[in-house]
Amino acid sequence: MKGDPGVIQQLNLCLKDQLTSINQLFLHARMSKDWGLEEFNEHEYKDSIKAMKFADKIIERILFLEALPNLQDLGKLLIGEDVAEIVKGDLDMLMGLRSNMVETMKVCEDARDYISRDILEHMLEEVEEQIDWRETQQWLIENTGLQNYLQSQTGDE
Amino acid sequence: MKGNKKVLKHLQKLLNGELGARDQYFAHSRMYKDWGLNKLYERINHEMEEETEHADMLIERMLFLECEPDFNQQDKARVGKTVPEMLKNDLDVEYEVVDALKAAIKVCEDEQDYDTREILVKLLDDTEMDHAYWLEKQLGLIDRIGIKNYLQSQM
Repeated sequence: MKGDPGVIQQLNLCLKDQLTSINQLFLHARMSKDWGLEEFNEHEYKDSIKAMKFADKIIERILFLEALPNLQDLGKLLIGEDVAEIVKGDLDMLMGLRSNMVETMKVCEDARDYISRDILEHMLEEVEEQIDWRETQQWLIENTGLQNYLQSQTGDE
Repeated sequence: MKGNKKVLKHLQKLLNGELGARDQYFAHSRMYKDWGLNKLYERINHEMEEETEHADMLIERMLFLECEPDFNQQDKARVGKTVPEMLKNDLDVEYEVVDALKAAIKVCEDEQDYDTREILVKLLDDTEMDHAYWLEKQLGLIDRIGIKNYLQSQM
């Protein structure tokens, strides 16, 4: 089924965001694992896999709309050098990703592509949960102290 | 089956290292237990068992190659007094074992003793990716979360 060109362009932008976030979250997961922070690693890893599933949904939708999903483009990775920077980098990345999603939903609504909008809406809920988790970590770092926070993220191997 | 002399010399040297490491882990694990650091005790006790298994593989191979392993030349155990010192000493031992294993693997390859080489590669994998890496992570955690938090997390 032929899709609206404006919607497709926006969906490709969302795809680029997801592809970028897969890599950023995955590298952060394995960096924290290397530091012995098993629980933090687990969380970042799961979010990275989730981003891959989101990318898949967008790719399938673009193909259904008889257009080409662009997997060449990748945004800039915001890689942190310590845990506080990692959380900040993820938060900045997710906020940017979210605002592109919201913008895309508006374009879908205007073009009456309600199904693309619905797909994004499901993702949006999870993205906001991911944002919330990072904000919670920032609060915890500030209020329990960095060393205590890191201790709570060591977990078992 | 008669083994190559050069290879056997290296196997004896490796055995000295494994036996020394085993005793060092033996001492450290019991000290951790005495201090109530049960998680560290369990991990290091497990390392001790692994070093014993490594020694076992070397001994069996040496016997098969018609050489008597000498149990009286084992490396000295470097027993530390504090947790960071103990972990550091253990890491030093693992690094030395890595170097010795690499040297021995090269000799096996040169002398075409491929089966001994295969056994040693398995030991090298354990030594690098399991033992040394874990110890590096612990020392990294002590830097990041502080010694008191680290010790608390090992109770």
